[in-house]
Amino acid sequence: MSSPAEALLKPLQIKHLTIRNRVMSTSHAPGYGSEGKPKERYQLYHEEKAKGGIGLTMFGGSSSVAVDSPAAPWNQISVADDSVIPFFREFSDRVHRHGAALMIQLTHMGRRTRWDTENWLPTVSASAAREPAHRNTPKEMEDFDFTRIIAGYAAAARRCKEGGLDGFELSAAHGHLIDQFWSPSANRRTDKYGGSLENRMRFGIEVFEAIRAEVGDDYVIGMRMSGDELIDDGLSHEDCIAIARTYAERGLIDFVNVLGGQARDHLAHAISLPNMSFPVAPFLHLASGIKREAGIPVFHAQRVTDLATAARAVEEGHVDMVAMTRAHIADPHLVRKLMEGRLDDVRQCVGAGYCIDRIYVGGDALCIQNAATGRERSMPHVIPKAERKRRVVVVGGGPGGLEAARVCAERGHSVVLLERNAAPGGQIGIAAKATWREAMSGITRWLSQQVTKLGVDVRLGVEADRATVEAESPDVVILATGGRPNRGDFKGADLAVSTWDILTGAVEPTGTVLMYDGTGQHHGASCAEFMAKRGALVEIATPDRMVAEEVGTTNQPIHLRELYKLNVVMTTNHQLVEIYPEGNRRVAVLRNEYTHEEEERLVDQIVVELGTLPNDGLYFDLKDLSLNRGETDLDSLIAGRPQPVQANGHGGYTLHRIGDAVAGRNIHAAIYDAARLCKDI
Amino acid sequence: MIATALTTVVLAVLAIGAALAVWQSRRWLAGRPAAVGVVAGLRALPGRYLVDVHHVVGRTPFNARFHALVAGGFLAALALLVAMGVAFGGSRALWLLLAVVLAVMLAGALMVRYRRRVLRPRELSQGRFARLPLSLLGFSGCLLLVALDQALGGVMPEALALVLVAAAGVALSDLVWGVWKGPLKHAVHGALHLAFHPRPARFHDGAGRDTGLKPLPLAPADETEPGTLGVERPVDFAWNRLLGFDACVQCGRCETACPAYAAGLPLNPKKLVQDLVAAMDGQASDAAYAGNPHPGRGVGKAHGGAALPLVGYDAMIHPDTLWSCTTCRACVQECPMMIEHVDAVVDLRRFQTLELGATPGKAAVMLEELRATDNPGGRALTRRWDWAADLSLPRLAAGGSCDMLLWVGDGAFDLRVQRSLRALVVLLRRAGVDFAVLGEEELDCGDVARRLGDEATFQSLATRNVATLNARRLNRIVTADPHALHTLRNEYPAFGGSWTVVHHTALLLDLITAGALTVTKPVGRSVTFHDPCYLGRYNGEIEAPRALLDAIGVERREMLRAGLRSSCCGGGGGAPLTDVSGERRIPDVRMEHARETGASLVAVACPNCALMLEGVVGPRPEVAEIAELVLAATETTR
Repeated sequence: MSSPAEALLKPLQIKHLTIRNRVMSTSHAPGYGSEGKPKERYQLYHEEKAKGGIGLTMFGGSSSVAVDSPAAPWNQISVADDSVIPFFREFSDRVHRHGAALMIQLTHMGRRTRWDTENWLPTVSASAAREPAHRNTPKEMEDFDFTRIIAGYAAAARRCKEGGLDGFELSAAHGHLIDQFWSPSANRRTDKYGGSLENRMRFGIEVFEAIRAEVGDDYVIGMRMSGDELIDDGLSHEDCIAIARTYAERGLIDFVNVLGGQARDHLAHAISLPNMSFPVAPFLHLASGIKREAGIPVFHAQRVTDLATAARAVEEGHVDMVAMTRAHIADPHLVRKLMEGRLDDVRQCVGAGYCIDRIYVGGDALCIQNAATGRERSMPHVIPKAERKRRVVVVGGGPGGLEAARVCAERGHSVVLLERNAAPGGQIGIAAKATWREAMSGITRWLSQQVTKLGVDVRLGVEADRATVEAESPDVVILATGGRPNRGDFKGADLAVSTWDILTGAVEPTGTVLMYDGTGQHHGASCAEFMAKRGALVEIATPDRMVAEEVGTTNQPIHLRELYKLNVVMTTNHQLVEIYPEGNRRVAVLRNEYTHEEEERLVDQIVVELGTLPNDGLYFDLKDLSLNRGETDLDSLIAGRPQPVQANGHGGYTLHRIGDAVAGRNIHAAIYDAARLCKDI
Repeated sequence: MIATALTTVVLAVLAIGAALAVWQSRRWLAGRPAAVGVVAGLRALPGRYLVDVHHVVGRTPFNARFHALVAGGFLAALALLVAMGVAFGGSRALWLLLAVVLAVMLAGALMVRYRRRVLRPRELSQGRFARLPLSLLGFSGCLLLVALDQALGGVMPEALALVLVAAAGVALSDLVWGVWKGPLKHAVHGALHLAFHPRPARFHDGAGRDTGLKPLPLAPADETEPGTLGVERPVDFAWNRLLGFDACVQCGRCETACPAYAAGLPLNPKKLVQDLVAAMDGQASDAAYAGNPHPGRGVGKAHGGAALPLVGYDAMIHPDTLWSCTTCRACVQECPMMIEHVDAVVDLRRFQTLELGATPGKAAVMLEELRATDNPGGRALTRRWDWAADLSLPRLAAGGSCDMLLWVGDGAFDLRVQRSLRALVVLLRRAGVDFAVLGEEELDCGDVARRLGDEATFQSLATRNVATLNARRLNRIVTADPHALHTLRNEYPAFGGSWTVVHHTALLLDLITAGALTVTKPVGRSVTFHDPCYLGRYNGEIEAPRALLDAIGVERREMLRAGLRSSCCGGGGGAPLTDVSGERRIPDVRMEHARETGASLVAVACPNCALMLEGVVGPRPEVAEIAELVLAATETTR
């Protein structure tokens, strides 16, 4: 195959609009909105992609067109009144300056939202059919609802055009109002809007006719839709093709943005946002099927994480634009790197789903491996050179240490990285051992490659102590020594092993195993899955209300699916309070969190996951020798100022501790600790 | 008695020399006819010798000095001897004068000997040339003794004097014998070549530079004769080209300059010319050649003849030799005999490509794509503009006018080159230059096709590009591609196109000088500039890029081979397509030159150079196109 550049760096013409290449980012909801507006943070996030060479960036997933489709409570965008127009103008200027096109997604979510927020209005839909994901029974739309909502769509469309956007798409996917009408699973009407597919398509057609009338034929309008709802009572692939053809042939839409599945239950939602357990581009065939029939440009997103796959999708004619939305969250400059022949430098999305999992619990989208994404105002994607070159020693080659070494090297410093193990990566190497979590290793792979390319002196298999650190005559010492498993302080804790012991292969899982998970993160669930796959009979117990409670909505369903498939027993609401031996077996005492009744399990092994405790021995050896006594000034750190105590050039060094070496947290925290500190060193 | 003997010997030998030269002329007169201004050429000869030839020879002062001493002394001595014998007799004053000129020649001969025996430059040919110092010393030394003796009144026994005269005569015979095959051949043929040179415009009495290839008539002038396109056999060359080959003195300056030779590709330009010289004989072989061979190919395997094909696996010139040439003109630049090696290469390639379809490697594929799609990559012409989709470049339609037309060239299809083109466009915008592009109507300029011998495709492209450009009114054409620059500026006039064509380095320098671009962030790095052959040697533009680099604040370092004597990156003449393998890659050799300067960056000003030098693997200086550096240096803070 030729270079990805050949297929991807080819403009696409839609009406008057020339999109400079075939790579885009689909509208999504990063939670950066403020008062229903795309303000500076939201704009900078997309501007970075425009700087990075993207052809089209679409913002504002599920931007609202009406008061009964709330958006602001999720820090999203409301296009329901004219006050948004000035923000659109500022936004489009900002993106156009870099040559990219900018569009938004408009929608009415119908029943796929909550009634108990913002305006406290009942939700509406084609029928009073309950939506499982939001536990919400809508009102069946009546005549004036049609008039009001269609007018709302048209007015929102006008606002987009007045705001200088290059176009917009209406969402008719993921079970929004338009596809609620389409899907027989949600539409039970018997009037002209229900029954036959022709009738079910009617509402959407009326919407598009109204917006066409409002913005004219020369404005670019698209539609996001499923290529197959993948449920028995939903839309089939053939239905979807028929819909796309009908809308396209009537001149209502200029592009169709196809995805696979729908999102009305937990697993369906996870499947529609495929994580690292899925192959790349799992639903490309659905977009391809519609491309063959629709006769208009087809866009497609869903786990296209690498440019080679993207190029294949375009080159083989499956789609016209390939969306690399999460890929841009990991690296907003990926197109520029393609243009500059620096494919190796692309920080590839690993599919951890950290970004999207955060937004469904009300957080903002952040990348597990790129601390600058969504923080463009304070964190640079391209690290500027420091004015003064320093000697930096980083101890620890996990994600925090690697990122610290990378950023310091980008700053132009002379960097030594000391890592105790034979390979870099720290705990990522352990996490990646657990079945489908293997792709986590991509985080280490990129960081290691970058530090090597940047000339960091990486010394593996070196246990750092005071002498080895001081032998380097450092100006700055950064300790990213990570943590060690917290084994708990209950009685008999020494009779348990850790998830590290299991995943590293130090202890082979055998017989019956109790996996006790006190964190609710990936660790316990993935270790349980790993052990069950290796033949152990596994029970996972947790004091939480469900297994993997802290894992987000695109990952937890996959954990649960796999654990169920492997017949892992899931025991929730139980605390592990004691372990005692019985022969060469173990007895675990589990106490119900609510009744405080105790149960016992006689098992061959007990595995405990309680997070980590810091490896801080070296830190305390160096603390009193350092100029700043190990203190990172938090005000300077947050303000993006250099630390107040700097190496003075007359011997002595400043000392900083980052990541789990301070307190056990996660990969993003370690990387953000490192990047935030080191960008000002 | 002595004087008579001497004069007799000299006259006899000179007569033999003249006879040899006449005999020899049958070889080169067998070539095709050529339009030559005989009288004007002969009139211009002394000037060309004293100015143009000496300009080249003077680049190595030691050689220039011994040549002046030996040749001056020798010619003066011959003239005196003839004069003494024929008119003036042997007065003591004349003998003394003769002694002086012979002493001068002897000094030069000693220098020649020193060079050949002590310095021993590796590019010198041996064989007959090895005897040269002995002959020169023999002639000048023996005669010097005789002349001094005569000047003093003749104290030497006459017999001894006659022996010395005889010895000098033998030495002279050897020198004059060289008119046929040997060192002195160059004197006669070199002089004639200067007078009847196929590119008279290259001399100071002409334009001073003449590097464009001349159109090859594709249809035979006479319908009844099939005619051959290009050169198959020695006799297919124009006679004055054959004469030029015969002027070669095997000094090896071309060999030293040739980038293909330096990289161990099977091309030694000196041997190539000598192969052509040898081929002019009936039963030819390269067995007598005593210089360095084409790398990787021994001597003695090549056979041919005046009416036999020149190129072939067992012929005088192996195809790999022919296709190793990058057409960089380093050999032409260095040749003191003003031989036009590159013209010869292209003439030979024309036959191979047009008559035999024998273009090797990827070159044939490229030419097919070019014929089908008017660009070498075989892509739709719209794709030339893909990189600029977000730049909204104004298109100049037929009938339209603009101040400046940006000719982007085929580099626009390449990711690497797109970066520098983008930098150039941003700079033009920043400087407020009113420019436009042709859009889909820009075709490949035909440079590579022409250097590969595909004159038909070149002429087709040239004709259409000229028509496209002539349908628009424009003041200047700017391009970042020196190959396009050369083709448009120097080769399109023959097809009716004549515009002011400027290289972007000259334009950017003007913009900075005029204050349209302000240097805000001086580069401050050590930079060495690699001259593109088609900008430097082909067009003489070596100052503007340097002034531009100085203007943006680089610490400029020069490579040993720079300016007009720069060494090629390996990217010209279709060489990357014919891809003849050698011991090393040409760009690796060039990068070594850059490395020697210790510069952290090599600035290039040609898409081919950028691609070739960036393709060098391993630790090396960074490579940046000059526009990219200017862009960074004139960045406005926002």
